[in-house]
Amino acid sequence: MAQIFPRWTNKIPLMVGVGAPVALCGVVFVVWYYFSPRFTDVGYQPKQPVPFSHKLHAGQMGLDCRYCHSTVERSSFAAIPPNATCMNCHANLDLGERQKRVQPVIDSYEGKKSLEWVKVHMLPDYAYFNHSVHLNAGVGCSSCHGRIDQMDVVYQAEPLSMSWCLDCHRNPEPNLRPHDQVTNMAWSAADADAYDAAKDPNRKRKFDAELVSPGMPRTPEHLNPPISNCSGCHR
Amino acid sequence: MNGHLSSRPSRTAHLSVRLLLSTAVAGLALAGCRGNKSAEPPVHPNLNMDFQQNYKPQEENAWFSDKRAVRALPAGAVAQDRDRSDVELNSGRGADGRLLNGLPASVKLDDALLARGEERFGIYCSPCHEKSGYGHGIIVQRGLKVPPPSFHEARLQAMPLGYFFDVITHGKGTMKPYASQVPVADRWAIAAWLRVLQVSQRAQIADIPDASREQLLRGTP
Repeated sequence: MAQIFPRWTNKIPLMVGVGAPVALCGVVFVVWYYFSPRFTDVGYQPKQPVPFSHKLHAGQMGLDCRYCHSTVERSSFAAIPPNATCMNCHANLDLGERQKRVQPVIDSYEGKKSLEWVKVHMLPDYAYFNHSVHLNAGVGCSSCHGRIDQMDVVYQAEPLSMSWCLDCHRNPEPNLRPHDQVTNMAWSAADADAYDAAKDPNRKRKFDAELVSPGMPRTPEHLNPPISNCSGCHR
Repeated sequence: MNGHLSSRPSRTAHLSVRLLLSTAVAGLALAGCRGNKSAEPPVHPNLNMDFQQNYKPQEENAWFSDKRAVRALPAGAVAQDRDRSDVELNSGRGADGRLLNGLPASVKLDDALLARGEERFGIYCSPCHEKSGYGHGIIVQRGLKVPPPSFHEARLQAMPLGYFFDVITHGKGTMKPYASQVPVADRWAIAAWLRVLQVSQRAQIADIPDASREQLLRGTP
């Protein structure tokens, strides 16, 4: 009498026993690696309507970030500058061959068409973020945006994920600088090591490591980043 | 018969495993690695209300032909969140309409004001005017058609302080107004720092207070 199950079916338990854990590991790996903002968002480098180079303006020419992003210390939003800011210089510059690169800005300034810059750094809409608070606490631009002064076309350098935010909020000190260094793109890890926020008398908000932990009493003049309170950011 | 039966499914199983593996490898290769540059907008596998139907500053609104969610101000709009009642502070002119030759009464001259002025001058003015005020800033070096004057020429040394506030606010010649980039208080701080620069370039050793003079002559900070 013929067997109901052919001989190869003997291997099924083995295949399932080995295959299922391997497949499960594969799924876990795929979600961990590919669903993370470190994969989905880091490296986003959209094409912009004007070939504006931060590497040239902020890097080689050394313009301060705040010359153009002038609202960053006063507002939650670091505004893309109006065309008028570009024209402060470009109305009186003739770049010769390269002048046509600036032409869209000039046209826009003369009222022809809005420039449609593409936003690079997008926080989720349910997360509150305020640029001015971070700057005034002594967090530098490059801590979150990377070496913009070395980017011809800006890309997202950091994941801007919740765990990435919390890494710093739970231990802000390595990312704090003197206030006059916030726009210094070349601020290095060595500079950070040499600077002790707790001992800087010029800080607007005092840094006290003791206070940056849940449950400790806090006062407005102390650096007081939301740590364990959901509504600190999801308000 | 049995042998024949057992070999066929086994081959298909092998094939499908191979197919599965190669699809997986190809998929991973196509997906790329973390941090690869891409001009394509980020794809969020779990949307989570990341992108909501409200407008953040400078976002796009397809309803309008220029796509600006933030509408341009109508002509003649006046900001209502700023107190302009202090005429000296806001215009740089006294009650008689003449430019102030000094700080307005509400601005106190102290180290903090000068430090602020130095910093703001460095950000907004030095690209053209140079940190020293002689006017050979990086933008001038790169071909600005009309270079700015030196602050140390006699004509500008003689100008009242309100003049500099006025020029920052309204612009002059080819220099455009900086009122939108530099708030009122910072304009006064810059004007004060500008005066410091001017004085520094024609100061005599006798002008320096005794304590600092010794330090200066010693050549150590």
